[in-house]
Amino acid sequence: MSALRLREVVKHYPSGSETVRAVDGVSLEIVSGELVALYGPSGSGKTTLLLLAAGLMDPDAGEVSFDGRDLAGMSARQSAAYRLNDVGFIFQSFHLMPGASALDNALIKLPVSGHTLREARAMTEPWLVRVGLGERLDHRPHQLSMGERQRVAIARALVGEPSLLLADEPTGNLDSARTKEILELLRDVCHERQVPGLLVTHDSEAMSYVDRTITLRDGRLLEGVYEELPELSTLANS
Amino acid sequence: MNSALLGLRPSMLVFLYRRRLRAHPVQELLAGAGIAIGVALVFGVLLANAGLTGSTERLVRALSGSARLTLLARSPAGFPEALTGRVRALPGVRVATSVLRENMIVEGPSGRQPVQLIGVSPSLSSLGGISQQELGNGALLLSGGLGLPGGVAETIGARRGTRVRVIGNGASHSLGVGAVITSESVKALAGSPVAVALLPVAQRLAGRRGRVTQTLVVPAPGRTAQVANEMRALAGGQLDVESADHELQLLSQATTPNRQSTSLFSAISIMVGFLLALNAMLLTVPERRRFIAELRMQGYDQRQILLMLAFQAVALGLVASVLGVVLGDVLARTLYHQAPSYLAVAFPIAAEQSLSIGLAVAAIACGVLATVLASLSPVLDLRPGLPADAVFRDAGPSGGLLTVAAMRWCGLAGLVMIVLVGALVAIVPAATIFGGVALAVATVLLVPPMLAGVAGWFPRLSAGSRSGAVILAASELRAISTRSVALGAIVALAVYGSVAIGGARDDLLNGIETATAQYHSTAALWVADGSNVFNTDGFPATVTKRLARVPAVSSVRVYRGGLIDIGSRRLWVRARPVGDPTMFEASQLISGDFTHAQALIRQGGWAAVSSGFAREHGLLVGSRLRLPTPRGLASLRVAALTTNSGWPGGTVTLSARDYSRWWGSAEATALELGLHSGVSPAAGAGAVRSALGPGTGLLVQTSAQSAARADASAREGLRTLSDISTMLLIAAALAVAAALSTTVWQRRARLASLKIQGYHAGQLWLGLLLESVVMIAVGSLVGAVVGVYGHALAAHWLTITTGFPAPFSIGAGHVLLTFALVTAIASVVISLPGMAAARVPPRMSLQE
Repeated sequence: MSALRLREVVKHYPSGSETVRAVDGVSLEIVSGELVALYGPSGSGKTTLLLLAAGLMDPDAGEVSFDGRDLAGMSARQSAAYRLNDVGFIFQSFHLMPGASALDNALIKLPVSGHTLREARAMTEPWLVRVGLGERLDHRPHQLSMGERQRVAIARALVGEPSLLLADEPTGNLDSARTKEILELLRDVCHERQVPGLLVTHDSEAMSYVDRTITLRDGRLLEGVYEELPELSTLANS
Repeated sequence: MNSALLGLRPSMLVFLYRRRLRAHPVQELLAGAGIAIGVALVFGVLLANAGLTGSTERLVRALSGSARLTLLARSPAGFPEALTGRVRALPGVRVATSVLRENMIVEGPSGRQPVQLIGVSPSLSSLGGISQQELGNGALLLSGGLGLPGGVAETIGARRGTRVRVIGNGASHSLGVGAVITSESVKALAGSPVAVALLPVAQRLAGRRGRVTQTLVVPAPGRTAQVANEMRALAGGQLDVESADHELQLLSQATTPNRQSTSLFSAISIMVGFLLALNAMLLTVPERRRFIAELRMQGYDQRQILLMLAFQAVALGLVASVLGVVLGDVLARTLYHQAPSYLAVAFPIAAEQSLSIGLAVAAIACGVLATVLASLSPVLDLRPGLPADAVFRDAGPSGGLLTVAAMRWCGLAGLVMIVLVGALVAIVPAATIFGGVALAVATVLLVPPMLAGVAGWFPRLSAGSRSGAVILAASELRAISTRSVALGAIVALAVYGSVAIGGARDDLLNGIETATAQYHSTAALWVADGSNVFNTDGFPATVTKRLARVPAVSSVRVYRGGLIDIGSRRLWVRARPVGDPTMFEASQLISGDFTHAQALIRQGGWAAVSSGFAREHGLLVGSRLRLPTPRGLASLRVAALTTNSGWPGGTVTLSARDYSRWWGSAEATALELGLHSGVSPAAGAGAVRSALGPGTGLLVQTSAQSAARADASAREGLRTLSDISTMLLIAAALAVAAALSTTVWQRRARLASLKIQGYHAGQLWLGLLLESVVMIAVGSLVGAVVGVYGHALAAHWLTITTGFPAPFSIGAGHVLLTFALVTAIASVVISLPGMAAARVPPRMSLQE
């Protein structure tokens, strides 16, 4: 059973003469097959939490571990290997290469694992089929809709068969219909593959598709439904 | 004053542009730098071109003043000064004044310089021009000394009152400098390689007492034709009667190949300049498109946005172009400040650049136009039916992806142009320069399909690679955008120009080197006037007997030569002693039998003529040739057709005996010395120098030294082409590197996302470097291939149309060097920003 665990994690940034308490004593566990939505207003520390989970940042205090491995104790090389082999990352801005096809965009992780382009294409194609792009393998990003582009990005995150899925505002650039599709897809993937997933979002609709919702405010974690937070209620109603 | 245009006040336009400058200073700076470099290249080349003949033109016009006609001698020996008096007495002549012009060397405390000594009469002042400003009534004429232009005085380290040596006609004289002519006093002379003296002084220095080479004539209004006829009658077929500025036509013909070559470079520079501007503006497209979308969403209408875009483009174009003109002026004054010294033998030529307002305005206008055209692409977002915020959903690269069909059409058009140019040049060789420009366009057209081909082929090649960097580069390369095409095209154009013109220049140098080696191989030692590589300046042959008595010398042969004007050509006449082993260079034969032709020339009454001149006059081997000489029209027959041996005006080669007969001169212009066996050329030269004594104006050189001096002169003459070519390459490589660096910098968010996905900085850096090198190499390859084709056409043109010795040789070394130079410069320059971009923190890919 893979699990992402954060225990009493603290991360502060100096900002001028003040200190920003981005993450302030957060404890969290996401287990296999569980998709968790992380809400929070801008500057609440969501991205910092994501960076800590991805091993891109060490906490000032506390412990971040995945599958029993302490991410803070990893060397840069080990940390890169962790992201390569264990983490699938989905971005709001997709970050697709404009000249490359959907297939070549989705496989971009694999060459770093030592696969040839030929092998990588063979390994990636089923994932594009899985996300519904089996007919659009050779299409370039500008020939795809926004939802399809995000599907390519999701396929790219999945091709390495990650043990952890991290998503940063994956529906931030999508309309409501495409948002629904993507959220369904993420939920299904987490459930099917039995991987833990952390979804950073502003989107109120995500609630319906995730297994659990947590909220970060001023660096502190608030477990529970977002309607309890007036600021997010306003956001949802808008 | 601050009235609104389309609802926008000028102050608002300025405000919006200032906002843009504050938000994106680096991009705007890069765009401005690209435009400035482009304008500098164009302006520098145009200025260098104009400067080549500018000084001579000013000098000739200043000297001739209001004169309309001139009576010209056909040899440096000139004609009696008294003839000027007879011209003056002709009905209809208002003014007639004598001038003596002779090539000399002036030597001062810190150096020596070949000059054209101009002897003038006080009556010259009545022509206006320079004489009214200084020569007619100034200190110079009263002093009886030598007048030196500021440039010459500076070179030899002379000031007013300094005693200098004037060397020529086999003798040396000491004389005081009476005046240093500065640009403030006589602008026309200040930059010219001349020395001015009163006629009697000049006659004494040149050893031409009582003789002049030119009479300048001012006819009464409406009587020019009548006076010309009277002068012709007086000339008796032994002197030429021409318009006063006839020399400019001769110079124009002599500089045609140089001018046309630099014109081709000008055209290439214009194209490179436009592409630089286009590329520079494309760098700013993403920001400008987003800004336009924001304005549209705020309620700005299309016309207002167009006005704002135009204002910003004109402002940027204007500032950058003015900067480019200043930079181009500096380039022309420093790098391109080279006068082809071989032309100075026949013309008082000096490369002298002065800022031309007309050229500057044209260059600025071109720069602004290029900026406006290059900044048009965001206007596409204003198309009807396109949502205002479409840019925010666009996944393509800035500048837009090129479609496969567009690339195919480009490739097809490029190939068709190449075929058509080949056919055109084969039919009309004179159209080669136009063909060169068309090939430059074809080069640009071939870049997109070549890039697409390599981008398609690269992943196939790398299918078995396990390198993340290789696969990353392969994926990124497939985005063939307007920007990547512009980058590749800049490199391709620069390489094309360098390979085509550089290759032709190398052919020409090789041809000239072969010709000069054979030309000088007829003697162990050459004794000639010190400044003249063409051996056309005379000196008394009396020295022959003295040299014949030198123990090391086995033989002394008198070589004679000169320059004669026929039509618009100033021909090089080469008159070899019949004892020479060869009468002309075997390697320069184009038509005729070499052995038979030599026998005919030795026999007398026959000559070898260069092919360009022969074609112009319909001459074939065996045809009758009529040469205007100081003793009238010489009737000769054509023994062979040759190249022009490196002199653009063309050559006539005959025997020294025929020359003496027709030119009526006993003067030598060079002495060919044989040495006894066992005497080394160096030892022989030493012995001959001793025999001539320290005061001689003659230069003694071995055959190899003489050939090397002529080769150096040819190389110097073609140096501007080399400089322009190198400058174009370096500018293109640096500009492309800067643009690529910006492109890479703009991709940092994607690079950050790759880092999150497991790539490390080294892999990203290698991938970026590989992608850039491939793109530059593709551009270089296209440029090199079309360049070799252009080189072949140029060599054909040089040989067939101009008659230069330029045997085609592919010059693989030059091509590879050019290819490697551009790729290496660009790669080295982009490696640093590439490394910085690859070190991007991963969090940059996330949205906070």
